[in-house]
Amino acid sequence: MKFKCLATIWLLTLISAIGMASAPPRTHTATEPAVRSAAEADAMRLEGEKRFRANCGRCHAAPQKFPPRMMATIVRHMRVRATITDEDMRLVLFYMTQ
Amino acid sequence: MKCRQKNSQYRCMWASSLRRNSCFLLLVFLISAPLFAQLPASVSPVPILTGTAGYFNFVTAGQNQVDAQINPVLLVPLGDRWLVESRAEFEGAFQRPDAGGPYGGMVSKNLDYAQVDYIVNPYLTVDVGRFLTPFGIFNERLYPIWIRSLQQDPLILPLSTESSDGMMLRGGFPVNAKVNLNYATYVSAVSSAHNNLQSDRNVGGRMGVFLPGPRVEVGASWQKLLQDQRTNSFGFHFAWQPTRLPLNIHSEYARTYQGSGYWIDGAYRLSQVVFWQKAMRRLEFAGRAEQFFSGQISPDAAQAFGLPGANTREGEFGLNYYLHDGLKVVGSYGRQFSSEGNLNLWTVGIAYRFAVPLGRVESQ
Repeated sequence: MKFKCLATIWLLTLISAIGMASAPPRTHTATEPAVRSAAEADAMRLEGEKRFRANCGRCHAAPQKFPPRMMATIVRHMRVRATITDEDMRLVLFYMTQ
Repeated sequence: MKCRQKNSQYRCMWASSLRRNSCFLLLVFLISAPLFAQLPASVSPVPILTGTAGYFNFVTAGQNQVDAQINPVLLVPLGDRWLVESRAEFEGAFQRPDAGGPYGGMVSKNLDYAQVDYIVNPYLTVDVGRFLTPFGIFNERLYPIWIRSLQQDPLILPLSTESSDGMMLRGGFPVNAKVNLNYATYVSAVSSAHNNLQSDRNVGGRMGVFLPGPRVEVGASWQKLLQDQRTNSFGFHFAWQPTRLPLNIHSEYARTYQGSGYWIDGAYRLSQVVFWQKAMRRLEFAGRAEQFFSGQISPDAAQAFGLPGANTREGEFGLNYYLHDGLKVVGSYGRQFSSEGNLNLWTVGIAYRFAVPLGRVESQ
């Protein structure tokens, strides 16, 4: 029973992982759908800066802005390393890439 | 499961039900992962080679040590949810022999972490491989030389922070608009196959509460060694970055079989000074106070472990000048008080952080 349960979970995890890994590329983005106006983009930028200072500033000085594709990697790394929340990560990424 | 005794039948049924429910909840959690999954980043991430390089002179009790190090970090994102990351440490420490003569020493090589991260959903990331043990905050967050405000390691750094080989679950999520919660829990297997991949068999975890408003984080760590003395270790950490001051305060306390102690450090950026603003905003004043209390191991064993051989107090202050955000010149002075003898600690050096893309950086 225990083994079956664990095996089922493991199988579903694998299927879920494979499914997500092979999902077709999406056309929308983390930042684009939320941005409907310039005012909203400005608000997100401000909020992103606030989250950046609160989360990233806890450990280190503000880094320079890297190209967006590099920032996407760095923010993913920092999300894991500093256990930043998903929402904070998105806003920081928006702020650092706009 | 066999339930032969009458009085244990209820407990057995309850345990069985609990297991079934736990399995069901875990199942629902995993199936729901794609539903809660984060949207892909606005641009596809590119592999990066980043890291730090530094050159320092550590003068301890009049003995000069030249220290050159490079710590490359490789980050390889795969798809929307995967990240392969690794950090190595190459450090050369050279000293002039007491009898005189040219500088000599060893170059040490170490693999700090080599892990695969899978972002299951906004609340959970699964890490597998060799990882930095999440005990306290210094080891995971403040260790890189371009981040730390003082280059000398805290006295209690060796306590429960050796890298682990195993699996870790971690994440951070908002409880409400004013409180974020972060956690990490791990299991590590014993590893002695290679000098650079050694780890202990242990389990542990860390929990932190972050208040984004006042920018305060408090947390606690725990680790249970599942070999040798099977001891428990505890730790607490605190971080505060006042909103009105360019000040960064961190503190840790650790209590283990090998010893216990605490440190508190502060770094103040002089950006609010009204004169010489161009230079002052690049200047940072840092200070640290710390204390170590010997544990239940011999002084020789403690020193082999990287700890002081006796109860020790230390105070240190220094200045960091940021030539730009990834390059700083550092200098500090500290005084250590111990029954083994008091001594001065001088540090001067330079720390550099680099980041190189390993692919096209233009957005696709």
